[in-house]
Amino acid sequence: MISLLKKIFLYEIVQGLALTLRVWISGLFDPFKKKTNKTIVTRRYPKEKRPAAPGFRGLHALAKDENGKMKCVGCGMCSAMCPSKCIHIHTSEGADFKKTVTGYRVDVLRCLYCALCVEACPYGAVVLTGHYEYSGFSREDFVYDMPRLLENWDKYMAGKDGGRYFERFWTPKKKNFKGGDNIAS
Amino acid sequence: MLNLIIILVKIAVVISIALLHVAYASYFERKVIGHMQVRMGPMEVGWHGLLQPIADGIKLLFKEDIIPANADRHVFMIAPMICFFGAMSSIVVVPFFGSFKIGAYTVGGSLADLNIGLLFILAMSSLGAYGVILSGWASNSKYAFLGSLRSSAQVISYEVAMGLSLIGVIMLSGSLNLSDIVEAQASAWPLGWYAVPQFPGFAIFCIAALAETNRTPFDLPEAESELVAGYFAEYSGFRFALFFMAEYMGMFIMAAVAVACFLGGWNPVPGLGWIFPPGVWWFLVKVYVLFFIYFWVRSTLPRYRYDQLMALGWKFMIPISLANIILTGLWKVVF
Repeated sequence: MISLLKKIFLYEIVQGLALTLRVWISGLFDPFKKKTNKTIVTRRYPKEKRPAAPGFRGLHALAKDENGKMKCVGCGMCSAMCPSKCIHIHTSEGADFKKTVTGYRVDVLRCLYCALCVEACPYGAVVLTGHYEYSGFSREDFVYDMPRLLENWDKYMAGKDGGRYFERFWTPKKKNFKGGDNIAS
Repeated sequence: MLNLIIILVKIAVVISIALLHVAYASYFERKVIGHMQVRMGPMEVGWHGLLQPIADGIKLLFKEDIIPANADRHVFMIAPMICFFGAMSSIVVVPFFGSFKIGAYTVGGSLADLNIGLLFILAMSSLGAYGVILSGWASNSKYAFLGSLRSSAQVISYEVAMGLSLIGVIMLSGSLNLSDIVEAQASAWPLGWYAVPQFPGFAIFCIAALAETNRTPFDLPEAESELVAGYFAEYSGFRFALFFMAEYMGMFIMAAVAVACFLGGWNPVPGLGWIFPPGVWWFLVKVYVLFFIYFWVRSTLPRYRYDQLMALGWKFMIPISLANIILTGLWKVVF
């Protein structure tokens, strides 16, 4: 009998309507916040930006040490590790017969942001920053060369951010790295 | 001559207001459904997105009008016009307010005070279904075709129930003229609304109106998730806009008929007459409440399956509306 009455008066549909009405009112002026716990969840993206969580894997950067010098020694482990082969390193013999890095290119369009390069790097020289909004007008814009990657460090990892990044997420293997020290600077 | 000018002015006013109304009904819908889904709806164009419908209209006007190579060109081009014409022409008999006199001239509440007003609306709203069916046929696309087939089946099963549900009102008021029906309701028991003595008819009319205007949960002809966009899948630019406007005009007409036949038309809600005298504002308030219910239902209910829809139409709504007619007839005979 009761189920028949429920059917006739569309009980379940009325229940559904009550729910949507409650949500609607909560979106308008929120008197039922405790009941439904639903206020508007929209983020109006270009106006409200979400800060990237610490350790977010965004645009690449090449780390600098305290003296502002590039940490990279050109060992090529990152590019060997890279599953999408998007890191290209060029080294040459420098003035006093030391290995110097002359080119470091990251093709960002091919990168899949796995951060294996960060993991592989014994010196903590390559990082993925929290920056995620980058766009360009040509494919070439997304091939980041060495100066631009170093600039990224200054832009997004300046100050304490860089150090904290390694402390909390990636310990550079250099701390217990058994290889030779001071190969280059 | 004066009469002609007055009629032309009235037509211009009603049509322009109706089209503006269509634009802002879409805004209202997006806002209501957005808030019901814990979103915001349009926010960017103008204050709280108030200019969004205008931006949409400009965009649709300047879009390319694509006609598929294998489409039946002429039918393809005419179909949206039929749809739009069917929806817009119904508006001439909608009674917005009671007629009053300025000097010797009587200002009618509707563009044309037809004695067969209700019949005219039913005829014109079924004419709109021709546009739907022809567009699906002419598009030469399986999705559009399936959408139009569904629409024709839906129209057959719901027009009957809708017409039958209005017969009770016609019997009580003794007229097909919408203004007369509104006037007759002023003395109806109780409330001055036929929605109370004709409750089954009102319920069936509301459900059938949802089906008639292809709204969720009966939006089978344009089921996005199944048929891309249904019968107007191949349309773009302003022809698409015509279908869109026809849909919203159809909603407006159905809401207006429901208000005129069941909810007392331009007369105030009982007990609230002291706020405003009877007039077009009460009519519009009631229409907007019905619009809100359209959107509310849309954001709540999923789509019916095809056979469920047919079963609901033939097995429930038509028998109930027939029973309603019999009971109303008995009421008329006894009292």
